[in-house]
Amino acid sequence: MRKGKPVPTVTIDGYKVEVEKGATILDAAKKAGVWIPTLCYHSAVPSDASCRLCMVELDRGDWRELVTACNYPVRGDIVVYVSSERAKQARSGVMELLLARSPDSQELKALAERMGVKKTRYPKVTESQRNCILCGLCVSVCEQLIGQSAIGFAGRGVDRAVAAPFRQPSEDCIGCGACAAICPVGTIKVRIHQDQQEVEISPFKSRAKLLTCQQCGAPVVSEQVSKLALGKVGIISEEFHERLQLCPKCRKSKTTEQIRTVTGVKDKVDVA
Amino acid sequence: MTVAVSKLTNSADLERLREELGQRAKAVSRSIRVCIGTGCGAKGSRKLYQLFCEAVEQSGADVKVEAKCVGCHGFCERGPIVVVEPGQIFYQRVEEPDVPEIFRETVLGGRVVERLLYENPATGKRATKAEEIPFYNVQERIVLGMNGIVDPTSIEDYIAKDGYKALAKVLTSMTPEEVISEVERAGLRGRGGGGFPTAQKWHICRNAEGEAKYIICNGDEGDPGAFMDRSIMEGNPHFIIEGILIGAYAIGSEQGYIYVRNEYPLAVEHLRTALLQAREIGLLGKNILASNLSFDIRINRGGGAFVCGEETGLIASLEGNVGVPRPKPPFPATEGYHGKPTAINNVETWANIPQIINRGGEWFASIGTEKSKGTKVFSLVGKIRNTGLVEVPMGISLRRIVDEIGGGTHDGKRFKAVQTGGPSGGCIPTEHLDARVDFDELTKLGSMMGSGGMIVMDEDTCMVNVAKYFTNFLQKESCGKCTPCREGLSQMLYILDRITDGEGQVGDVERLEGLAELVKATALCGLGRTAANPVLSTIRYFRQEYDAHILERHCPAKECRGLFRYEIDPEACKGCGICLKDCPTDAITGGKKVPHVINQEKCTLCGTCWEKCPFTAVLKV
Repeated sequence: MRKGKPVPTVTIDGYKVEVEKGATILDAAKKAGVWIPTLCYHSAVPSDASCRLCMVELDRGDWRELVTACNYPVRGDIVVYVSSERAKQARSGVMELLLARSPDSQELKALAERMGVKKTRYPKVTESQRNCILCGLCVSVCEQLIGQSAIGFAGRGVDRAVAAPFRQPSEDCIGCGACAAICPVGTIKVRIHQDQQEVEISPFKSRAKLLTCQQCGAPVVSEQVSKLALGKVGIISEEFHERLQLCPKCRKSKTTEQIRTVTGVKDKVDVA
Repeated sequence: MTVAVSKLTNSADLERLREELGQRAKAVSRSIRVCIGTGCGAKGSRKLYQLFCEAVEQSGADVKVEAKCVGCHGFCERGPIVVVEPGQIFYQRVEEPDVPEIFRETVLGGRVVERLLYENPATGKRATKAEEIPFYNVQERIVLGMNGIVDPTSIEDYIAKDGYKALAKVLTSMTPEEVISEVERAGLRGRGGGGFPTAQKWHICRNAEGEAKYIICNGDEGDPGAFMDRSIMEGNPHFIIEGILIGAYAIGSEQGYIYVRNEYPLAVEHLRTALLQAREIGLLGKNILASNLSFDIRINRGGGAFVCGEETGLIASLEGNVGVPRPKPPFPATEGYHGKPTAINNVETWANIPQIINRGGEWFASIGTEKSKGTKVFSLVGKIRNTGLVEVPMGISLRRIVDEIGGGTHDGKRFKAVQTGGPSGGCIPTEHLDARVDFDELTKLGSMMGSGGMIVMDEDTCMVNVAKYFTNFLQKESCGKCTPCREGLSQMLYILDRITDGEGQVGDVERLEGLAELVKATALCGLGRTAANPVLSTIRYFRQEYDAHILERHCPAKECRGLFRYEIDPEACKGCGICLKDCPTDAITGGKKVPHVINQEKCTLCGTCWEKCPFTAVLKV
């Protein structure tokens, strides 16, 4: 391994690619067009390497070591094997353990199939909350991107679970649904309660009040999300605030209306 | 020995104080040292100490007598231990009524109380001094050398015994690089289990970019049955502090942390006292001994999670986060506590440092094997005669530890295996007992050095059950972060449970091996990667026991309930009727003075008859 070269070469299953120093093996694999299955990895948050699904073999000269592709930093020229027997076995072994834990997740089954793992040899011995594989993406996104830390890990070992404090609905949850969007196995769901005008993040039972469209009454986003977003964009124009009171559909028709008024064109105008 | 000590402003002050303390010590001609270590303390040695103090006060003799508490001597099996000077007379199993006799005869009269001396079971000879006892004379005590001699609560006592001499030497005559070179010459490797070269770690840490650098002492000893670090922290806390100070000078740190388990209250107390004393005297704080070293240490008490003994888990816990390991690299030496370069070493590693500086790296490197230098402390426990804390030179054979120091297994029991390396270590069988204690050799045998637990097992120990016990421990203590450790260990435990319940299936051993290899190869931290060792090593050396459980539904060691029967030996049975009366299911029949019989269909295998029989006529078959 040569150190100090600004753009190291990574050889993945024979393909050579150059990546920036500090990029991960996974980045290099993407560049080389080699697929490595991942679960707990998401480009939006720092890698935690907790699911251990992306194991690949790293050539150490006289021996080879299994490392996680998602966080292993490339510092010099390296040789990596993704489809070696040992790497494949390690990945399918981890997948089988995950399938045993969360047998009902369609997303997990689909990924397993893509990896060529048809079923697991193991029985279900640990309890998972609605197929949660404890990858921690939801916890990371809530803490690091949304900045709310409404959920976190509770318990240790097999009792580890993602939960809001004391497993009670959390007041810190703003109902943004980022956790549901990032969840790779469909554990977290966003539920809209029309009658109460509330959004619920399930299974954490946290609820937030929804803003409704002032024109048609359809639910938009939660009040806190709107406030947070406003704070982030920092636009103070009155018109912008007015528009925020509308659902996307009504906003669109309002724009159409305005363009018509300005241009005098009566026919349908494509505003998209 | 309390002397009004003013702040030490330079190393000459320290030497002057040492001289003064030495003069005072000479005036005290007799001393009584009572061990208050873990084992002796549990047997009431604190009370003995009090009684000796009272005796000293009341005696009014012309000679100056001093009674003091000292740390663990190591021979816990024979505690409480009391040593009387002059003559280093070693009394064992001392009880309260013995105190006046020891005081009258030995302290005042200079005569030895024969019955309290250790008697060698092989020769019947009594030993007056510790070094005459086989348990001690095979050992080489560097780290534990002053345990049992110095009072852990007195900095003066430590200074009088050449304490902080190494620190003064380093501060006055060595550069940080020279300190690291000296440790490198010594070939010291981390005593916490990893065996990473200490000097290399310090070197990386010293050269790492960053203003603030930290030092951490890992005293989170979580292995079941291990008490090495505990005894050092309780028995000689200044030794560790001096080592840390030298490390601080070497890497350029201003702040250190000692992470101790909260379950070690005495260790916390002694360390806290030691830190206060060191601060008062000027050995901690700004510009120590007029050098440019400014350093202080804080104690952090751990909450008792085994995984916090893993360095990245410990650092996370120290930072106030959940104690969960993170992937390496980056290693703590470059990005540790709060992302700053951190030198984290085990208690025993730090305690080795002062001696390396005082006596030189070459002296240290002369002990041990090619790649494992110095000594190692082990807590020798299990089915062995002399349980206790032992320190042996690297390279000694396991046989000498078990037979000569440990005195072998209990009467009539055949030695089966010795488990080294804590819960994630492995079991080494009789045929490898001549293996040398060495980082690499133990790893080759499928076990590891670990932090120094050593559990001896005899023929009554079921190896499948041992694997189950440790797997269960590790599964409970797994942090649950990574899939292989959390799920894999649970799957292994499920199979082991099935085997010991007599429901093992053909192929279970292969399934266990497959899972174990998977966990070993893919887990995130060192704990997970070694967690498969108990299963792998027992399968490697005791495969036949697994097969007996699975194929014959029989536990050869007769430990797994349901996989053996109780029977009454008609020749040994005197027909006393005790078992018959005590059997909760009335499964035993028989008349007075007529051999009894167990009705196997009614028997629930509770073992009451086996425990109660005064003639050992109830057998496990």
